[in-house]
Amino acid sequence: MEIPYIVTPRKDTGLFNSKIAIWLFLASEVMLFGGFFSAYVFLRLGADYPWPERTLPVLPGLINTFVLIGSSVTVVFAWAALKMRQWRKFQLFMGITVFCALVFMVLKGIEYNVKFHHQAVRLQDFTVMEGHLGYEKEGEQYVLDHNGKKIEENLIYIEANKLTFSTVRYYKPWVEELLSQAEHKKTKILLLEDITAVTEEGKEKIVLAKAGEPLTTGLLDRIQKAHLAARSHNSAYRTAALRSEWKSAHKNFPDKKDWQLASTVAIDDVALAPKLLTEVSAVAFKVDPPTSLDFKPRDIKEAADQSRLRDDTVVDGKLLDSPMVFHHVDAIDFQHLAMRAVKKGVDPIAAIEDSWLLKNSPFAKEAWEWHQKEVATLEAKLLKEYGVGKDGKAKREPTLKERYRLGWKDLGKKAEDQGQAKLTGRQYLTEEFLGPNYDARGAETFPEFSLPREQVSFAAKFTPAWNTYYALYFTMTGLHGLHVIGGALVLSYYLFFGKKMYLENPEWLANRVEIGGLFWHFVDLVWIFVFPIMYLM
Amino acid sequence: MSAQADTHAGNDSHHDDHHHDAHQQSFISKYVFSTDHKWIGIQYGITALLFLAFGFYLMMVMRWSIAFPHQPLPEWMSWIFTESWKARWLQDGKVTGETYNMFGAMHGTIMVFLGIVPLGFGAFGNYVTPLQIGAVDMAFPRLNMASYWIYLVGGLIMCGSFFMESGAAKSGWTNYSPLAGFADGQVVNQWLAGQTQWLIGLVCLITSSLLGSVNFITTIINLRARGMTWMRMPFLVWSMLVTAFLLLLAFPPLEAAGIMQLMDRVGHSSFFMPSGLFTKTEGLADLSGGGSPLLFQHLFWFLGHPEVYVLLLPAFACVSEIIPANTRKPLWGYKSMVYSVLVLGFLSFVVWAHHMYMTGMGAAVSTFFQTTTVLISIPSVVIITSMLISLWGGSIRFTPPMLWACAFIPMFGIGGLTGLPLAFNLADLHLHDTYYVIGHFHYVVAPGILFGFFGGILHWYPKITGRYMSRKLNHLHFWPTLICMNLIFFPMLVQGMAGFHRRWYNGGDAYMAKAQDSVNVFGNTVAQHIDMNILMSTGAWGMAAFQIFFIVNLFGSYFFGKKANSDNPWNATTLEWATPTPPGHGNFLFEPVVYRGPYEYSRPDCEEDFLPQWIEPKRNAPAVAPAESEKPLVKH
Repeated sequence: MEIPYIVTPRKDTGLFNSKIAIWLFLASEVMLFGGFFSAYVFLRLGADYPWPERTLPVLPGLINTFVLIGSSVTVVFAWAALKMRQWRKFQLFMGITVFCALVFMVLKGIEYNVKFHHQAVRLQDFTVMEGHLGYEKEGEQYVLDHNGKKIEENLIYIEANKLTFSTVRYYKPWVEELLSQAEHKKTKILLLEDITAVTEEGKEKIVLAKAGEPLTTGLLDRIQKAHLAARSHNSAYRTAALRSEWKSAHKNFPDKKDWQLASTVAIDDVALAPKLLTEVSAVAFKVDPPTSLDFKPRDIKEAADQSRLRDDTVVDGKLLDSPMVFHHVDAIDFQHLAMRAVKKGVDPIAAIEDSWLLKNSPFAKEAWEWHQKEVATLEAKLLKEYGVGKDGKAKREPTLKERYRLGWKDLGKKAEDQGQAKLTGRQYLTEEFLGPNYDARGAETFPEFSLPREQVSFAAKFTPAWNTYYALYFTMTGLHGLHVIGGALVLSYYLFFGKKMYLENPEWLANRVEIGGLFWHFVDLVWIFVFPIMYLM
Repeated sequence: MSAQADTHAGNDSHHDDHHHDAHQQSFISKYVFSTDHKWIGIQYGITALLFLAFGFYLMMVMRWSIAFPHQPLPEWMSWIFTESWKARWLQDGKVTGETYNMFGAMHGTIMVFLGIVPLGFGAFGNYVTPLQIGAVDMAFPRLNMASYWIYLVGGLIMCGSFFMESGAAKSGWTNYSPLAGFADGQVVNQWLAGQTQWLIGLVCLITSSLLGSVNFITTIINLRARGMTWMRMPFLVWSMLVTAFLLLLAFPPLEAAGIMQLMDRVGHSSFFMPSGLFTKTEGLADLSGGGSPLLFQHLFWFLGHPEVYVLLLPAFACVSEIIPANTRKPLWGYKSMVYSVLVLGFLSFVVWAHHMYMTGMGAAVSTFFQTTTVLISIPSVVIITSMLISLWGGSIRFTPPMLWACAFIPMFGIGGLTGLPLAFNLADLHLHDTYYVIGHFHYVVAPGILFGFFGGILHWYPKITGRYMSRKLNHLHFWPTLICMNLIFFPMLVQGMAGFHRRWYNGGDAYMAKAQDSVNVFGNTVAQHIDMNILMSTGAWGMAAFQIFFIVNLFGSYFFGKKANSDNPWNATTLEWATPTPPGHGNFLFEPVVYRGPYEYSRPDCEEDFLPQWIEPKRNAPAVAPAESEKPLVKH
């Protein structure tokens, strides 16, 4: 059996099989990316927060665009070389193509990496701050945690005196983390009281664990096992009991419906009690002596006296001061605040001047006042250049972003205006790739700031979590990046392992490279759409 | 299947051109990782039937909860679970709301994605399509194999989550955000939550159907036998072609939605999470917000509606092959059916938002989708009417497959017609999310599509195994199933119009206390209709019992069924009956050339009442020149 039209095209359709297949596959891919592009339009049009416009560094994106376009050309040259049976030339052009893919991914990697270390926070009044979180320091030395890692100053501290674990739900890595913290901080986590339970039907209670026993995952496992066994045992008995209750209810009241009987049919708990085992659904431990334990903000719902971890562990103890500390604030953004103020019919400038940040940070206040002057200058400039419209208003006005956002370049300009830190040309160029140069610009430009926890409304790194724009950015470029990697792998397979096929059946290899090339063009095309909507618009 | 191997050995002794690879194949490469489209079709079929049985079981448990919400699940249904599973998911043996939701979500998912689509497209499509166009195999046999295995893995991932602490997905088969974004939110490692596994499974299924559909379309375009012009293709092939296009183009937006929802779950993004989301369990969500729940619905239904036709078209395909073979006359209006199916395929992409009338997307949008929805009923009605007229004046043989095909037409008719009120957004305001909707689409899918598939299984069984399925067992299966189907689904239409909501896990029981109050109109309405629940549930369990006859018939006939004494036992005309029984690897013993259309029955100029596509015309008869002549498919 031989499948026809693998190498030569069928006459009436003019196509070989895989060419049909790749076009179909690309149609499907168009629909996939079409889904994301529609999501982009939908989310951007419906956004109830200021959409981050032109927020990404354009230069690396632009370079990437040309790199990809170039590689699309070379992949065609590689295919043509194969058609002309010029193996060396094929190798050269295919090599360039794969190298371009590599350059693209490296630039993309740098771009991602900058974002993963960049923090954003939305305050309760919708002021937004961006910057880099600090690591705890003592003098010039970083403080290391029990795992030997630097401690980011974005943790919730609780003076814990009691920990209560849910028997079924506790999350082992978190328990281990707590134990390791306790060891580091020289405190002990001990069982609060004896755990006694009936573990065999009809027997007396036995002691599962004695008060004062230290917390281990083994101990929790043991209690979990007893609990689950008891739960199964009891459930079987209760089911049987309920079943027989219903049987007798139906017998006694044959003409009544279930819902009429439901309130009277119940399990006789007293009669059943001797047969049941004890279920231990939670275990309490004391922290002795009470010690400050730290938790990641996303893992915990903190409250003044009793906080709860996501695995239902209850932490009793006083919530300590847990500020979020920026070592470098590199943007102050009032767009969201202003947008909400306008919606409420409040003057945005008044709302901004009333904001918590301006009242509590002299730097922010000074920067805002500087910025107001800049906006006034810009307004004057626009008025001069574009004039006044028929309605008596200026034809062009500063955008929301220009009015209410102080980005890192604004803060940099402010510092330069005031005669602080100046950079070399080379430093300016690297900033286009890596973001602000904190060391060169120093604390005058990007100051330190400690934000009290109760002012934090929502915080995230510049990851998909920060807002739907970044979610789209990472998902679309990520998926596109996976396509680049996938395509490059296939093309490099032909490059490095294609020689044998070339010698046996060069036309077949040419077909395959053609297919790969079509895919590569598609990857390029997607980028040509992604680049403007993400970087330029 | 040893019979298959035997016939194949026979093939080789006659014709050496059929390669010798069959002899060298090991058990694993022949029966497990097979690349033969027929065996993959059988794998798909058996797997899909198992999933269907499991989905049916989930439904039986739900029906218990609806009919007897206060009583513990009886032992004959609960024995399947371990004690610890029951302790976790049942409360004193009763089905809880959470468990009901989980079963409901998985029932829908399994039936649609793991049962019907693989059975219709995967099994019938794979087995029959290449045979009917005279191809040696699919264009990409290894992709075909990959398609099956990815489907299986996806299915197992989805169903495996039943055994995890979080349980399986529980936000409905539609998986709407923000509910689905939060479900299992208490699980610290989100990758181990049933709701996340559902998404991963879904991505596998989409990949599988992508591979499948690319393969089908390429095969149909490029591997047709000599003389097999477009208008000589059997209707089944057309249906599969359109189905493949629907899968190819409609699934990717759902994949996009799935990826975004996955990001929402594991990356804490807010694609589908609105601002200021507050839940009872989580409080104010620790999310940025700014996303759109409606976006998910749009992307979901962009797949969701074409998906309905992905389910339906293979059933149309089966029935339209069974009917001409058993009425001994051509399929009436073959060409209009072909055009209808193409129009149907196209229109199915522009009706999706009729699932969303209640979301407040605006009158203009609703009107647009109402119009397209009403339009799409035209091609459907053309097809079903053509089938109906095909029966007219035929000398109908009520063979076992024909019974199912005959029942398909009215049952699908009820399903289709009950859909019309839902298409009008005014009527939909009342009927939305009631049991009327459930009744409507179950009439389409269960007694409609499934009946078509039962017929298909009986029709091609003699080709697959060389034996007929038992006529008696089929009667024992068919009649009770027909009755039970109507017992289950007809009352749903009545209850739905009375306002019964589709997600009441206790079947409306919560309203009964209020029903005593004479001014509580809704309570009284519920009270009037609630007893139907018991009737419907009994029907469901009864139907389960009668499926045993089918299972016995399906496997028993392989060993004990009456032998088919010919390669073409139904005296049919399409190319699959030109192959040896069962067809060996490579399918045909001769190079098939097609001389005429697919349904040449009872031609006055022929002695016999059928003239197969592959029979060469007699010398004196006017020659029918193949329009697209080209080189033969198989080298001799």
